[in-house]
Amino acid sequence: MNWSLLFQSYGSVFLNPQVLLMTLLGAVGGVLLGAIPGMTATMGVALLIPFSFGMDLIPSIGLLLGIYCGGMYGGSISAILIHAPGTPAAAATLLDGYPMSQKGQSGKALSIAMFSSFCGGVIGALVMTFLSPLVADVAMEFTSAEMLMLAVFGLSVIVAISGQSIAKGLISAFFGMLLCTVGLDPTYSAKRFTFGVKPLYSGLQFIPVLIGLFAVSEIIAGVERIINGEEKQESSNEKINEVLPDLKTISQIWPQIISGGLIGTFIGAIPGAGGDIAVFVSYGFNKSFSKYPEKWGTEIPQGVASTESANNGCSGGAMIPLLSLGVPGDAVTAIILGAFIMKGIQPGPTMYVDKLDTVYCVFAALMLANLAMLVVGCCGVRFFAKIVSVEKKILYPIILVISLLGAFSINRNVFDVGVCVAFGVVGWLMNKFEFPLSPILLALILGPMCEQNFVRFMDLNGGNFGAILGRPIAIGFFVVAVAVVLFSIWNQQKINKREAEARKAAAKEANK
Amino acid sequence: MKKTHTKAFANLIASVILLVFEVWAYVQTLGFKVVKKAAVQPATFPQVMCIGMMVFTVILLIQSLISLKRMNPDDPNMQPAASINIFKNRGVQAGLLVIVLCILYVALFKTLGYVLASAIIAAIIMWLIGKRDVKQILLVSVLVPLLMWLVFYKLLTVNIPMGVLDPLKNLVDMI
Repeated sequence: MNWSLLFQSYGSVFLNPQVLLMTLLGAVGGVLLGAIPGMTATMGVALLIPFSFGMDLIPSIGLLLGIYCGGMYGGSISAILIHAPGTPAAAATLLDGYPMSQKGQSGKALSIAMFSSFCGGVIGALVMTFLSPLVADVAMEFTSAEMLMLAVFGLSVIVAISGQSIAKGLISAFFGMLLCTVGLDPTYSAKRFTFGVKPLYSGLQFIPVLIGLFAVSEIIAGVERIINGEEKQESSNEKINEVLPDLKTISQIWPQIISGGLIGTFIGAIPGAGGDIAVFVSYGFNKSFSKYPEKWGTEIPQGVASTESANNGCSGGAMIPLLSLGVPGDAVTAIILGAFIMKGIQPGPTMYVDKLDTVYCVFAALMLANLAMLVVGCCGVRFFAKIVSVEKKILYPIILVISLLGAFSINRNVFDVGVCVAFGVVGWLMNKFEFPLSPILLALILGPMCEQNFVRFMDLNGGNFGAILGRPIAIGFFVVAVAVVLFSIWNQQKINKREAEARKAAAKEANK
Repeated sequence: MKKTHTKAFANLIASVILLVFEVWAYVQTLGFKVVKKAAVQPATFPQVMCIGMMVFTVILLIQSLISLKRMNPDDPNMQPAASINIFKNRGVQAGLLVIVLCILYVALFKTLGYVLASAIIAAIIMWLIGKRDVKQILLVSVLVPLLMWLVFYKLLTVNIPMGVLDPLKNLVDMI
């Protein structure tokens, strides 16, 4: 590790007013968006990414990481105050956070959530700083065979994020991979699915598709829910007096903060596994090792600390595969990968040789994003609660016009706005039929990598795919991919079984 | 519950639509350019994706048929499906109206410009979903697009079409 360059990069990030401002703005936006139930950090990053187009790489990454870290913490605000997690990753926070709030300890719960989020984020950033160069060293040996199998490994986690139906998840994934083939073929420039439409020659742009699938579809569904009277308007009148936890509380929660941060980082580093999984693993782990597990789920501060440190620890963990392998760890890092590519930088092992200063600046930006989140949290904790009261009838049209502008601003092309709307409809229909959307996102990112390396490998080996057996790292990736698929299928079956039992019990209760 | 109202039936319909799409996409790939002596043709990858989609669509189709035949109430596929009835469900009708408005928005984006087109669509949607405070509707639907345009135009130097409101650019430039 080049320590002098590392310190220099930290200095250049922490002393750059533009980076400081953008990261702070990102954290404010992230916390505000995260606090709105249904608005995830992914949606926030997707919505605000067009703002980063005119900036240099590091301020724009600072902005996106600010949103990411802020969004992770923001989700806990509505979870604690109104029992509605702002983000899926905050789902476990309400188990102890909401009972604390009901007992008049909203301020304490929010301050613990903020402090734990900050500590978890710092743990994730530190682990990322020291671990990702080691991963990158191994990745330097990669050829097209390893890259192909790495993409396959990345795609294998689709099974884990498919939800109830693995078949539907895989259909979504293959659909996403098919979308990647629209445009000119990268090797021979053959036209594929272009139908004579010139803007399609360069393929479907990632950001309009993303905004359409996640934001526009949600607005259409939201309008539908409002008309059908299914949309609840949340409100909060809580008064918050405490900003940071006292020393006595910190001494009670530090073991949960450290273990949660490490669990979050580890799970975040697995492509496809995000904060929503990490929080439950951390909660379960800390509860199992607690001296008084029966108190968990009532109003215990350790419960809030274990989940919040885990979901922010994920942010650092998810950056490890992004920077060292070029494979995004979750949906947000997939969008951040898009931001790197738009700036002409391809994350991956070669980045540690060609652009080491940029890598170190990203480490520093993540640390700064966590600090910005703490500052924003301290200053705004009293006011953030109010955002849950914003009327959805006003919020949805605002989000729509911002989303459509975002789609336009990438290439300054109305065609992209049309693509965004079209994918909004596709996303809405897919949600109706319960097809998961995340696999499309992962497929859109990994599809081109998969095809290009497949074609290169086959060309180099005269069309003999069996030659891959002579590449042990590639085989290793393949074996891990198969293991991930099998584990995910087994895990999903367990979840389905548990859900069926819960449904049976609920039906029995109703019959009584 | 009627069979036609279950998730299994919705999955069956979705499978049939998807199969039609996949066959159509596969047929399209047959028309792609053929490169002599290439180990992998430009059509190979999309064809593999089409076949992959077909395999899992058939699996979904079979799962749906089995669920519909067994009619086991514990089966998650026997839960009620989300409504897509455009004749009976007012929510679906509103959703479709938003889609139509978005299509019109795209068509008129250059002519009307971002601010005007956005103000119109935002105001209509607010009215559609039951907002009746005219002052608030006008204020939000005009100010938000205007502010967004200002941020993009002045701070990020992204030139966004202003259509009939183009003279506003000169006004802002003068300030």
